[in-house]
Amino acid sequence: MTDPYRLLGVPATADDETIRLAYLAAIRACPPERDRHRFEQLRAAFEAIADAQARLSHALFDTTAPTPEDVLDALGAVFQPRRPSEQRLRRVLGEKP
Amino acid sequence: MSRKAKANPKKPPSPHDMDSAALAERAEAELALSRHKEAIELYKELLKRERRPVWVDGLAACYAGRAHSLAAKGMLKEALVLWRNRQQLCGKPLVEGPYLTWLMQAGERGEAVRLLADPSLPEAARAELETRLAATLLTLPSDTQLPDLPADSALLRHRPAALAALQAYGQGDLAALGVCLQAIPFRSPYRDLKPLLKALALLTTDSAAAEATEATEVIARLPVDGPFERLAAALRCAALPAGRWLTALRDLDENGRQLVLDLKGCPDPLRPLLLELAKLGDQPNPGQFFDLLARHRRALPDGLAANVCRRLLPHASNRLKFHADVLGTLPEVELSHLAALTAEAHGDRGLAMPHWQRMAELLGGDPEKKRQAALIWRRLSVMDLAPLEEAGALYPDDIVCMERSVDLDPDQRDTQLRLIAELRHVGALQQARARLDQALPRFPKDAELLLEAVRVALAGKAFKKAVGLAKRVLELDPINPKVRRLIGQAHFSHARKQIKAKNHPSARKELEAAAEWLRGSEDGATLNLLRALASDDPASADGAIRDAVADLGGALLGGFHLALEAGRLGLDAAVLLARGKVDLTATPAPAAVAALARALEAAREMDTTLRGNALRTALHPLRPALRRAASGRYAEAEQRLICEAWLRRKEKELLRLYADAALKHWPRQPLFVYFKAMAQYADMPYNMPERMRYNLEDAAEAALAQGDRRTFQRIQDLLHPIEPDRFYPEDDYDFVGGLADDDPGAMFEMLLRMGGEEALFSMARQAMGKKMFDALRKELGGNNKEFARALVELMAQQARLDDIQAPAPRKPSDINQRNLFDD
Repeated sequence: MTDPYRLLGVPATADDETIRLAYLAAIRACPPERDRHRFEQLRAAFEAIADAQARLSHALFDTTAPTPEDVLDALGAVFQPRRPSEQRLRRVLGEKP
Repeated sequence: MSRKAKANPKKPPSPHDMDSAALAERAEAELALSRHKEAIELYKELLKRERRPVWVDGLAACYAGRAHSLAAKGMLKEALVLWRNRQQLCGKPLVEGPYLTWLMQAGERGEAVRLLADPSLPEAARAELETRLAATLLTLPSDTQLPDLPADSALLRHRPAALAALQAYGQGDLAALGVCLQAIPFRSPYRDLKPLLKALALLTTDSAAAEATEATEVIARLPVDGPFERLAAALRCAALPAGRWLTALRDLDENGRQLVLDLKGCPDPLRPLLLELAKLGDQPNPGQFFDLLARHRRALPDGLAANVCRRLLPHASNRLKFHADVLGTLPEVELSHLAALTAEAHGDRGLAMPHWQRMAELLGGDPEKKRQAALIWRRLSVMDLAPLEEAGALYPDDIVCMERSVDLDPDQRDTQLRLIAELRHVGALQQARARLDQALPRFPKDAELLLEAVRVALAGKAFKKAVGLAKRVLELDPINPKVRRLIGQAHFSHARKQIKAKNHPSARKELEAAAEWLRGSEDGATLNLLRALASDDPASADGAIRDAVADLGGALLGGFHLALEAGRLGLDAAVLLARGKVDLTATPAPAAVAALARALEAAREMDTTLRGNALRTALHPLRPALRRAASGRYAEAEQRLICEAWLRRKEKELLRLYADAALKHWPRQPLFVYFKAMAQYADMPYNMPERMRYNLEDAAEAALAQGDRRTFQRIQDLLHPIEPDRFYPEDDYDFVGGLADDDPGAMFEMLLRMGGEEALFSMARQAMGKKMFDALRKELGGNNKEFARALVELMAQQARLDDIQAPAPRKPSDINQRNLFDD
């Protein structure tokens, strides 16, 4: 399973209520009739970390290998989107350095 | 005849020796076969003889065809040379077809600009060329002399606005950007720059969601392969969802990648990592992923590399040493955890178990980690079970694990409940009661737990206590049908005892008490039957028995209930069946047989005191009728249900008859093949003929193909004693450190290193039994370290011997047929 914390957009330290609210918001944004697969993923993610015992079980027994997407997500906080410079644009268009 | 005179029939004549008509025919044929190189030579020869227009066109077509095939291989320069030959030798226009595209793709912008200055260039070609050159003109250094173009050239007139737009975007002056873009007309060669800069402005604006959506929409509308394609491709990549944009970076050039990373806000020190990560794809090899993160760990935020690498280790266990060297040594509990997860990730639960045990033991000693330890013990207890498997499926060792789990964390209500049910199933009623005494004060209003308490009380024949508990269940859940039936059945049991003792008044009293609890029609019919049997008036009783037989479902089902009651009451079944005028000479209908199969299962579930033999004895008078009914027309679901019932009741003859009949209707259906094999060889799989084995193997494959994992598993279990390796191909995963699988010594060494001495001892204790383990320990002596080393040698030696010797067949009693014939 994809990292349930990432899927629900909650930190690893989130409590039951935070996770529940994140789940409700996620399924409101993606109801089953719009994207069944995504909805199932969200539900599985919620069930995996819904309460303290489930979170503990997940931490102990989950064997899912992390993905580059997980790394990107973890790096989210240090990413600060910025406007490319004029020079960068000209380089992309073919300007020689 | 001389050798020279002998002509080679396969070799075509030289073009010089052929007449023009034949040569033209051959040239056309080569062209039609796309053999352009050969066709060019032939047309050239023809044109030497005479410059006929049709041959000129033929040569031009050959050049065009050859140029296209070279361009398709990426040989753009060579394609351009051929296109120019086409112009020079055949007089065809240069600027047509794919020429401008190839020119730009080959980077020959100088030639493109020169073409633009050519006054003979057709207007349409000029407009196209100007559009294609738009991006080039924006990237010329400021001191570059612009091409000698007509003063009204749109390329020159709109260039300042386009350059100013780029500058305004770079400076973040969105107002100026808007003005500049307005100055670029929609027919301008720079027109495609407008949506690109607009999308860029939306992507980099501070207010997020709506603009991001609009940016995505604008990007989706960008023309493909336009003059600003490199910028467009970068924007398309940037608009992809997380993860996908990273992989898509691979398709961009270096400047495009950096632009995307700018837009994403990737800090400079992380860029090399991300670019390498992109190369690994979205599902990278765990080992390579691990190496990459370890190499770039200093650029990553604190602990991120260690955390992700730690999660990768179960999939890249040969990086363990590297992990220790670079990211630090893991404590023993972590090593056990890692070894367990590694084994599980490779589907080897047997190997995982000792590591989980070791980890649970280590955690159990820490008051703050008791809940983790409890969860591990719980997992160990149900590790071999299919999900939702009912109580009664655990082995004694599993129950011990579950007890340890509950002892460490008594707040696990589900585990408590399961444990009590398991203890009741194995008849450990005293332990079950002790567990209930612990659990009920914690969960006093838990109806399921109270219901289990009722079952335990009934199993211990504590009827009054059971009734008291049942009333508590009904206070919490007034319409709970399970508890009503349980108590009603308990009164039935009492009544049966009294009937057996010929104490009919007491029996009737019990039956009236049962009537207060029971609601269902089948229970009502049983009540009437027992009332008749407790009656002091045999004449009226016979009529009541006949009515009860009818209410219970007719001859077959009613006869079964009568025979069952006869067994419970110590009566002669034949006499009772005669009193009920049960006629078993007719062949039962398929629906009646299916109903009997359901009744068999229900009887076992409701009456826990019922022995397996009691059900088989009750079936005895029905067998002839059931044999006849085997050839009836059943639905597949009915056949499955019936065969399952015969399997559970060890009715081998009936199972074989019904499985045979089913296979006639559904040949090679995996489940029925399995039933047939079970009917004949469940107890003696070694006697199974080769043909049956092949049938089973085919059935297992078919079951797997149909997604029927349960049947696959059952066949696998049946064949395991005779073909232990048939469904367990040698595991090819490299568990630790890239060790060869066929070196058991190295494997045990690594186990020792990863799990520690205790994990090794625990595994050895399990493998050889406590008695032998203790004897060995006494004999070998020494400290833990020396003993562990001696054990490794001994076990490796044994493993090598096992490899050489044929595996000893397991005794039939060892066959893992859990949940089959399980009473």
